This record gives sequence, structure tokens and C-alpha cells, in this order.
Amino acid sequence: MNQLIESAKDIFQNNKAAIIIGYTKDKSGRTKPFIAHNSDEAEKLTFNHHAVNNLAVYLTRLEKPKDGKIGIVAKGCDIRAINALIQENQIRRDDVLIIAMNCNGVVENQNEEFSKENTQIKCKYCQLRTPNNYDFLLGELEDFELPEDSQQELMNKLEAMTPEERWNFWESQFGNCIKCYACRQVCPLCYCEQCIVEKSMPQWIETSSTTRGNFSWNLIRAFHQAGRCIGCHECERVCPMDIPLTLLTRKMGMIAMKEFNYKHGMNINEPTLIGTYSTSDNEDFIK
Amino acid sequence: MNIYKPELVEIKEIIDETPDIKTFRLKFKDEKLQNNFSFKAGQFAEYSVFGEGECTFCIASSPTRPEFLECSFKLAGKVTKAMRKLKIGDTMGLRGPYGNSFPLEEMKGKNVVFIAGGIGLAPVRCIIWNVLDLRSEFKDITIIYGARSVSDLVYKYEIQDWQNMPGVKTVVTVDPGGETSDWKGEIGFVPSIVEKVAPKNENTIAIICGPPIMIKYTFPVMEKLGFSEDSIITTLENRMKCGLGKCGRCNIGSVYVCKDGPVFTYHQLKELPDEF
Amino acid sequence: MKSFIVTRSQINSLAAELLSKNWSIFTQSEDRKRFKQCESESEISVDGNGKPSDVSFKELFFPKSETLFYFNRDNEELTLLDPAEPGTKTVIFGAKPCDAASVPVLSKVFNWDYNDEFFNKRVENTIVISIACSYSDESCFCTSVGLSPFSEIGSDLFLIPTEKDSFILKIVSEKGEKFINEFPFMIQKEFEGTFDLENQKASFPKEKFDFASVKEWLGKNFKDEIWNEVGELCLGCAQCAYVCPTCHCFDIVDENCGVSCGRRVKNWDSCQFGLFTKHASGHNPREDQSRRYRQRVNHKFNYYKQRFDEILCTGCGRCTRGCPVSIDIAQVLEKIQCKQSAAIV
Repeated sequence: MNQLIESAKDIFQNNKAAIIIGYTKDKSGRTKPFIAHNSDEAEKLTFNHHAVNNLAVYLTRLEKPKDGKIGIVAKGCDIRAINALIQENQIRRDDVLIIAMNCNGVVENQNEEFSKENTQIKCKYCQLRTPNNYDFLLGELEDFELPEDSQQELMNKLEAMTPEERWNFWESQFGNCIKCYACRQVCPLCYCEQCIVEKSMPQWIETSSTTRGNFSWNLIRAFHQAGRCIGCHECERVCPMDIPLTLLTRKMGMIAMKEFNYKHGMNINEPTLIGTYSTSDNEDFIK
Repeated sequence: MNIYKPELVEIKEIIDETPDIKTFRLKFKDEKLQNNFSFKAGQFAEYSVFGEGECTFCIASSPTRPEFLECSFKLAGKVTKAMRKLKIGDTMGLRGPYGNSFPLEEMKGKNVVFIAGGIGLAPVRCIIWNVLDLRSEFKDITIIYGARSVSDLVYKYEIQDWQNMPGVKTVVTVDPGGETSDWKGEIGFVPSIVEKVAPKNENTIAIICGPPIMIKYTFPVMEKLGFSEDSIITTLENRMKCGLGKCGRCNIGSVYVCKDGPVFTYHQLKELPDEF
Repeated sequence: MKSFIVTRSQINSLAAELLSKNWSIFTQSEDRKRFKQCESESEISVDGNGKPSDVSFKELFFPKSETLFYFNRDNEELTLLDPAEPGTKTVIFGAKPCDAASVPVLSKVFNWDYNDEFFNKRVENTIVISIACSYSDESCFCTSVGLSPFSEIGSDLFLIPTEKDSFILKIVSEKGEKFINEFPFMIQKEFEGTFDLENQKASFPKEKFDFASVKEWLGKNFKDEIWNEVGELCLGCAQCAYVCPTCHCFDIVDENCGVSCGRRVKNWDSCQFGLFTKHASGHNPREDQSRRYRQRVNHKFNYYKQRFDEILCTGCGRCTRGCPVSIDIAQVLEKIQCKQSAAIV
């Protein structure tokens, strides 16, 4: 990844950014998020199939540097999050320096090598392998074998279910939730300063890990992602209980596409779906 | 035994102290409990509104006046909001007493200075009455109390009693701008009034409680007046849940405020990590 | 205490008999996510090779949500009702030594001064049958916190695999002895040899840091750059705390079940959440993630040791394996040890 390191060093040497959020490899060989503050630290940057994290989450979490932009290494799915944050007025395009990576897929299981079997499902339907919004574009596109979309299969199965069967499916899934809120914390679009689950006057969501508390948390989080989820699947990747959270957000994204021809985070100049109203909006699906 | 299950208490009286502070006078529903309940000045309890939750307050009444158990609370969150809606005769829960207490025995035979700001008078009031009810065992007593404005002063009905007591010097102050046209007390922030009153440090113990900003500026004044770090005592108001040294919320370093505190000397506070 | 030779089929028979007597049996789930309840003896897993479950077995002693009492308002009269005692007799099969060790560590905080009977009753009713561990990955560090793949601490009975489907069953606690005596077929063949632990040591995960040095440094250095380094990457979820066998912080909340009734619940909570220490006034003593991460490390490797003479960590590595941003706590502690070594020189 010399190209990345060279660009990063150049960025620091010419004061184009104050920090660069990227990936590094630790001494155990794990690829993980890393923040470079100077050109020496830029040497540690890397990018590979194991660069799974959506680093855009840090854009709203980190304190804004006083002396320059935030540089960020971003794959296509991360770019969609950056675009979405710009669309939602959370960050300004001028405050970030985007080092985009042509992406050749990322792994599902971080402990194993990249292969067709070990590729995230999101890569199958990715439309931004070459990002569409950047200051630098690095890396070469290579062909790779797309994974099976096993999620689509499950979605079809769920759709064929009766409401009661679906309820039971989700009850057993949400029953596992331990409320660690990792799904929320890794989500680049969960940037509320105070999450609704933290509000106690009134207590909208019960904090207990019980059927009621778990349903209200997971469903309300899903609803808050309606037409907003950019499909990075980070919530599902980090869920310690393997709850298939993206089934809900992906489905809602599909509805947004079908009903409004809208996909969030694709174009920073497009008004957001949730933030705009048109009298010609399709209402047929509201029952 | 279920250590998390409170006893039931009934609200016997409600006093509106200030626009946002009330005092409840409580009695255990179980008469035996009411007669046997004992605590020491400085200890706290967990008060429940069932369906809303629990809240931590010091016991504001003195152990020498066991007729009622009193707590004063300021509207802050979910539970205090619910408490404000309660009426005389309503039932609450109470667990306690918890924590350590003011060193009453150590204070005997000494001068005592009480310094409080705002609702910080609640725990101090408990020990003030404790001391006043055993008046002969203590030497000179100085009480310095301040609030943002005249309407923010709590226990106004008792301050008068303190002022009238022989051998008790009581100074009441309000922040500049908080005075009324007929205000006869001092005007100024608590630390500067303490400096002005300049209580003697010799054979004296000072008990200080108030908002963090008041405490922060009062400690240096006390040091300047020659008080040793061990003779300055305060009580901490960390966020707590269980009160039993289990839930981990009130930890400062290896200290459990709910067990090792809430009463600490200035010296002890200096040894703790800066996390309160 | 005595040891016996048992076979896998005897262990299965034990499980079958327990099930028939209405005991609850828990074992690691096949996907090694957590400990699951078994309905048949064929489900039990006694596998020393397997990865520790993603979530520890802590929830069997300290559930993620536990009712403390119910309240009921009937005709304006309020009554409080204790929940049913956790009465089910339980056996955990195939716990890891790094799971079992957490029980006595947790017992300290749940029993100093006030006794938490919710925790105690569950411990009392549970038999922990652990198995020597032959798994290790880059996240494991039990040997750095005074444990090992053969630690029997916290177990009632301990299995050491010898040959295929055969185990040495060591009786570790009096509770374990009393339990196993009820099942004579398990104690037919006494193991009279000696098990050579020294021989095994070569395969133990190597020590990653020296606990004493780490503790010493933590005791002396509250403010340090290292907390910012980790704090700026840590996203502040509680996955580390919730998968951890020893993290025990909790919240207490009320829940209404209707207009006139409800319950008070003890829920897992974590010092990694900003809300954990935030006062009603808005003041927060640990206002950023670096302070919260510092608290986590200090609580585990400094404060708890000072207070209860135990390390609040069994080196199971779950927090590292599960961390969304791959923060490796052992690497943080290694760095701290380096700082301490540098300070000595």
C-alpha cells in the first residue's frame, strides 16, 4: 500500500489535513481503525480486504481538529456514509479530505483469508466499488467472485411468512439482544447526541433486555434508519449475538428505491428522502 | 434478604422550600421500623417512586429528631419530577441508611464551622441540628449559608432559630443580584463571605457542602484561613444507583462513594483521582 | 480431593439423569456464541479445543435483566412482592477455566458487607464442570492474569481430556464432591496416577504482560497519552463489558406492566456509556471516551485488586475478539508495561 502511504505523507507534508482516519495492521495481524496524526504515523496506514470498518463513523465522533481537515480513507460503502452525512448537514464537504479506495470486496470473517465464501454480502450489490466523491482515488479495481446473496433468500422466506410467523422469527432474534448498543455506536448515521433510548422523560424505550425492551429498541432503531441506511452492514457485523439487523434496513432501502426511486448517500446534492415532501410521492404502500 | 427491596414510607408533610426544591417529612408505614430506624448525620438513603425509579438523597433531618425522616430534593430528572407530583398521604419506598457519616465524636469539644450553598444545606442541616441538640458538647458554632437569590434559600423557617441562638454565629448571603429590597443579610458569593467572616482555625472542624463550583473556590479560602486538610470535611454527590457498593456507578478510583463516603475530608479528596 | 476416570458416555449418562430429575443443563452452543440450555444429553459440549463462547456464562449468575421485586397498587394500597427465587438446580458442562474463574472474582463485590442474594442463590444452585483448555488465539491472555488453561478456580468439578472420549474428573470443591457422590457411576474408577501439569506448560499461551508492573504503573499514572490514543478509536459501545465474565456494573430501573403494577429491574450497564456517570445536572465526571476507557482498565487491573485483592479479568480475550474496532486490551496492557519498564530504567 505504498500509494496510500505516499499520498498520506504528502497530505501531512503539505498540510492538506490535520489527521487521517485509516486502517493499520496491529502486531497480531488484525487490520483495524487507526488515526494518523503526522507523516511518521502515516507509515502505518494500510488497506486490504480486511479493512471492514466504516470509518465514516468517526467523522461525527471525533473532535474537529483546530488546524485543518479530517482526512479519511474510504471504500465505496464508507463514501455513501460520508455523502449521507453531508446530505444530512452533519459535516461539510470542505471539512473532509477523502482518500477513496477502489474496493475489491471485504471479508465476512476477519480471521480468515478473503475468498468467494468469505466476502460480505453487501459487496454483492455494491454500486460504488469505485467511489463517486473523493479528493484522491487510489488502488486498482480487480475482478472478484461475488458471494451468494443468502440474505435475499432469507428475505424472500420472511416475506412469505404470515405476520405471526414473522413476529416469532424476530422475537427469537431480538431475544438474543444484550443491549450493548454496538449496532448504534458503529453506525455512521447514528449520530444523535442523545439517543432516544437514553431519554427518560418520558422513557420511550425500556432499557431492559426483555422481549418488550428488545423489540422497541431494535425496531425503533430500524425505523430511524428508514431511507437513511447506506448499507455498510456494520451493525450486523459487530452484533455479538449475530442478529440479522440489516434484513430490516436493507428491506427499507429497497422500499425507498421502489416507491421513491431514492438511494441515500449516492449524491451529496440530492435532498434527502426523509427531509423532502412532494405531492406526487407515492402513497399506495401506506395501509 | 432482598437488599434491593425498600421499606414503605408515607409522606406526612410537604414543605415548598424554593420554586424547585421541596422537603418531604416521611414516616415508615410499619410502626416498629419507625421506632427502630437509626442513622447518623451525613448518611444517605435511596428513595423510590414506584414505577419511576430510585433517587439518592442525604437524610436531611437530625438523628436527634426522630419523629420524621426528611429529605429535600431539587427537580432534576425523572424521579424528582415524579416526586414533585406526590401528595401528603402518598407512599414512597426507602432503603437505607447508607454510607459513612460526619465525625460527630471527633467534633465534640471543638469549634464547628458549617458552610453550605444552595441545596447543599440539606446534609449540613442534619448535622447542624445534631450539634445544636447536643449544644453543650461543642464550642463556638459558625454557620455560613448562601444561595443564588433570596427565594433560593432553603430552611428559611429554621435559619431564624439558628440566628437567635446564643453562641451560634449565623451568616446568610445571596449572590450579587439575588437580593430583595428588604434583604438584611450579606450579598456576595459564599467563598468571599467565608473570607470575610474568617472563622478561627484553632481547634475547629469545618463542614462544607454545596455546588462543585462553590466547593472548588471555598477550599483555597479555608487553606488560607489556616485550616488543615484533615479539618475540612465535605460530602460528595456522585451518581449512585444501588447504594450498596455493587453497581459500580459511584466509583472514584478504588473508592465506593456509597460505602466509603459520602463524607470525605479535603485530604482524602486530594488523594482521589480527579473524577467527581 | 479425589480424581476419577470417566468416559464421554458416562458424562452423557450424568446429563441424562440430571435432565430426568429436572435439573437445568447449560453448555456452549454449537456456534460458540453463548451458553445455551440443553434439552437432551446429546447437546452437551465438553470440548477443550473449542473457542470460548463469544458471550461468557456470566448471565447464568448475573442475568442481563433481573427482577428485584414487583410492586402492585391495589385500591391505593401499595404492596411489594419478591420474585420467585432462582430455584432450579443447574449444571454447566464444559465451561472454560477462564469462565469458571470469574465466579469467585464476582462473588467478592456481590458479598462485601451487603450480600446480593440474587447472585448467591444462583451460585449456590449451580455446579460448574469445567474442562482443561487447549484452545488459544492471539486474543487469549489467561497466563498474564495468574490463570492457566488448567486453572480449577471457580470450578466444582474439572475435566482433563486424556485419550479419545476419556477424561480425568477432578473433584475441586466440597459442593462438587457432594454433587458427584449422588451419582455413583461417575466415581467408580479412581484415578491414582499423577497428572503431569509441567508437561503441558509449553503449550500454554505465553505471558503477554507482567500484571504487577501494569498495576504499579496504573497506580502512579492517572493522566497519560495512552488513554487518548485508545479513547479516540473506542466507539463507546458496551460489547467488551457485556461479553466479559467479570464486568458487573448494573443499572436499576422501574418498569410498569400496567396502570397499577410493575417491577424494579437490575440491568447490565457499563462504564463505557457516557450516561453511566452523568449527573442530573449535566455534569459528567467521565465526559469523554478516553476517561471511560481509563476507568475500565483501572477498574480491572488496579482498583479491584486494591479493593478485593482480585484481578477483575480472567484473560479470556472476549472483549478483544468482539471489539468492533479491534481494540486489543492485552496490547494496551503490554504498552503500559513498557511504560513502566521505561520508568524504572
